[in-house]
Amino acid sequence: MTAPVITMGDGRTTMRRNFWHGVWRVLKRKPSRMAGMVIILGFAFMGVFGPLFYPDPLPRDTANLYAAPSWEHLFGTDFEGTDVLALVVTGSSYVLLSAVITAIITVVLGTGIGLFAGFRRGRWDTVLMRITDMKLTIPGLPLLLVLSTIWKFGSAIEMGLVLGLLGWGGVARAVRSQTLSLRERGFIEAARGLGLSTTHIIGRELLPSMAPFIAMNMLIAVTGAVYAQVGLFFLGVLPFEANNWGVMLNLAVFGGGAMSSPAALPYLAAPLLAILLLTLGIVLAVDAMDEIFNPRLREE
Amino acid sequence: MKRLAAVVALLGLATVTACSGGTEDKPAAGGSGGGGGLYTTIDANKPSLDVNGPINPWSPKGNAFWGYNAMRIAWSKNHLTDPNQFYPGIAASWEIAPDNSSITLHLQPDNKWSDGKPVTAEDVKFSIALAYTQGSTAFAIDPGAAGAASEVEVVDDKTVKISQDMKNPSVTFVRGVMDSFIVPQHVWSSVLPADFWDKLKAARGDGADAESARAEITALSEKVLAFAPPKDVSAGPFALERMNPGEALLVKNKNFYNAANVGPDQVKMLNSTGNEQIWNYLIAGKLDSAPFTAVPADVMKRIGATPGNAVVKGFSPVSLGLAFNQAKKPYDNVHVRRGLAYLINRDEVTTIASPEGGTPAVTTTGIHQKPAAEWLGAELGELEPYKLDPAKAEEEFKKAGLKKEGGKWTLPDGTPWKFTINVPTPFSDWVSGAKAVTSQLTAAGVDAEVLTVADYPLYLKEIAEGKYDVGFWLIALGPAPYNIYQRLYGASNGWAILGGKVKHAEAGKGGNWMGGPETIEVDGTKVNPGELTAKLNSAAEDEQKTIVGQLAKAANQDLPVIQLWDYVNTQFVNTNHFTGFPENDSDLLRQPAGVWIQLGMVKKK
Repeated sequence: MTAPVITMGDGRTTMRRNFWHGVWRVLKRKPSRMAGMVIILGFAFMGVFGPLFYPDPLPRDTANLYAAPSWEHLFGTDFEGTDVLALVVTGSSYVLLSAVITAIITVVLGTGIGLFAGFRRGRWDTVLMRITDMKLTIPGLPLLLVLSTIWKFGSAIEMGLVLGLLGWGGVARAVRSQTLSLRERGFIEAARGLGLSTTHIIGRELLPSMAPFIAMNMLIAVTGAVYAQVGLFFLGVLPFEANNWGVMLNLAVFGGGAMSSPAALPYLAAPLLAILLLTLGIVLAVDAMDEIFNPRLREE
Repeated sequence: MKRLAAVVALLGLATVTACSGGTEDKPAAGGSGGGGGLYTTIDANKPSLDVNGPINPWSPKGNAFWGYNAMRIAWSKNHLTDPNQFYPGIAASWEIAPDNSSITLHLQPDNKWSDGKPVTAEDVKFSIALAYTQGSTAFAIDPGAAGAASEVEVVDDKTVKISQDMKNPSVTFVRGVMDSFIVPQHVWSSVLPADFWDKLKAARGDGADAESARAEITALSEKVLAFAPPKDVSAGPFALERMNPGEALLVKNKNFYNAANVGPDQVKMLNSTGNEQIWNYLIAGKLDSAPFTAVPADVMKRIGATPGNAVVKGFSPVSLGLAFNQAKKPYDNVHVRRGLAYLINRDEVTTIASPEGGTPAVTTTGIHQKPAAEWLGAELGELEPYKLDPAKAEEEFKKAGLKKEGGKWTLPDGTPWKFTINVPTPFSDWVSGAKAVTSQLTAAGVDAEVLTVADYPLYLKEIAEGKYDVGFWLIALGPAPYNIYQRLYGASNGWAILGGKVKHAEAGKGGNWMGGPETIEVDGTKVNPGELTAKLNSAAEDEQKTIVGQLAKAANQDLPVIQLWDYVNTQFVNTNHFTGFPENDSDLLRQPAGVWIQLGMVKKK
């Protein structure tokens, strides 16, 4: 009785090994993809361990406000004489954590609702899609502006939650379309004919076919969430937290005059560069992901 | 800081604005009296122009620019201690009764509206009627209001006498009268009913009829605010010609009494949506003058490098305080407030937040340091300076029962203490200042943070509702000592003058968000600071000095606010096209450039 189980386990392990082997091959094919992964891993490391490299609170050098870049301060100092690079590193936790939470919520909700609606069709589909349509008509930014007057978004989890709840509509619509197309294919017909359970069909047959699409959406949601929250902080509608990329941009432009004089330029450039790098990393990783999950694109 | 200037102006006490701007514009044709040229500036009171705004000085969005096309009876000097000093406006001269019971205005004899009709005493009386609908200081319809006018009498075509209701007099009565805007009756006549003055008389009585008359007058307020004359008819040096979203153009009023000495032929008001836009205008040399604006040091250098640009500095009757909501723990304990004062390095905070526009407060008295020296003399030096002293702070915190655990201060019961300062986001200097304060406190073991609020009106609303523990609060709004101290011991701290009597509301009620105790002990004696403040309204000068001394001591010991920095009126001028700007320390810096121009100071080069 135990032998087949062991065999199945071995089979899965082999599949997994093959999968990661494939991933490695795809990444190796283009150096840009490797660079993308390195950047993403670098940001993940920075978000998790970055703050541990600096004392809390960050040291200030009030005799050295808006200091020019030097070996000591690679991106100069801010209005209080705090090292700008340290601010970028310690500020990455909030930005990245909320972005990841946004991405997870967007993908889980969007995929769940889209899959369910597309597979079940009928009344469930109608109800869920009307809800999705209604959600899509909600203007995200104005709503956030209003919300910010009553909610201070003190933690990254709150921010991620709100952005996630505002962002799942598009994914749900797209996943539903994909599901509607896939459910008519032969292999799903066959699975149905074999009497496999709905859970099995969705979990084992439909979901893997949509995995690339979902994974890409997840990464794109990360960049969307970073833009959204940084934008809100930049506009100054969210509470001040000095080592946050958006607040840094706001203070550099409106407090430091970065657009009018060069002193605060490094203070403006550092968080901008971080956002640019993160976006670049994600774009390059999405390119790799496309090929990993889409065998037709593989250049064997 | 530009926005802050606007706020201060709205409070009706400190005015700003600026002038100047070497531009490439061609001189306007048709200048008179050797004048000419185009003068470019920004209105500190209305930096964001609204094309649809009415030409109405009472409307918050109105396109009535103080000193240019909107005229007051006279222009306050905002003297250090005397609120009754003015420059002429609609009135050429005036006589103030020795007991402050009345003021007789003599209008400019040759002044005409821009449509050629003369400016008369009837115009002044009619404009005062409009002011009553807005409930402005001297023209309050509340029968018990301190400093309210009881009678407005047209003596002759160019003379008006306004008497104060002496049942409840105020030393700020004259200032209240002089700050009135005057508009042409022949343009505005449809706004008020013919029997307005009868209604006002009825409103001053008691009973239901008086109540309904008061309601009728108050109801006229909206009508006055919304009134939009089709064309600008101005008694000022300029009249609004046209405007677009980027700028407003005003042309010289040839009928203005001093038109021959008005330098520029035209004035262009540029639109501004933020401080950084003003910096860029200044760097480009586009402004002949610019108002008080928060400027970072490096941007200041660039502005200074533009040919013709110069910085003029003077006194600004405003200070910034860190105010406590004493209804909330632990801020009800004076030792906590004192401990915090000893932990804040005001020099460092000012350097970070407002190096060009402020000087660190020498101590905390509720008065700006310049008039403080006048009011208090040697007494100022005897007050506790609250210099940075962590040891004293520790001592004070211990007296308050706070505990230090793991390097962090906790409340007496051991629960965490989170010190949160609230500030409005648009005030970049406040945000930087608040952050500097929290950094200093955090380093000393107080877990501190800054919370920002989207805009200033929302900030004022929330602070008044008692939502914040600690916030930034403008204080020292002189020159009248009553105005100075009502920021600490006035309505926001529970005291109001109603029907001639001082009444105290409990914390959280009647706008009392500061929640301080009704009486406090100063040098072993119990005093009621709200009553003392109210007394300043009617006290003679000598008595005022004594009271100011008592209140300064009370504020210094009890610390309802910690005074952080005293503002410096920092303005910009450009001498490429015009000369004759006020110099450093001129009291005219506290009035818009339109006033400098109408007085004949500014000349084309």
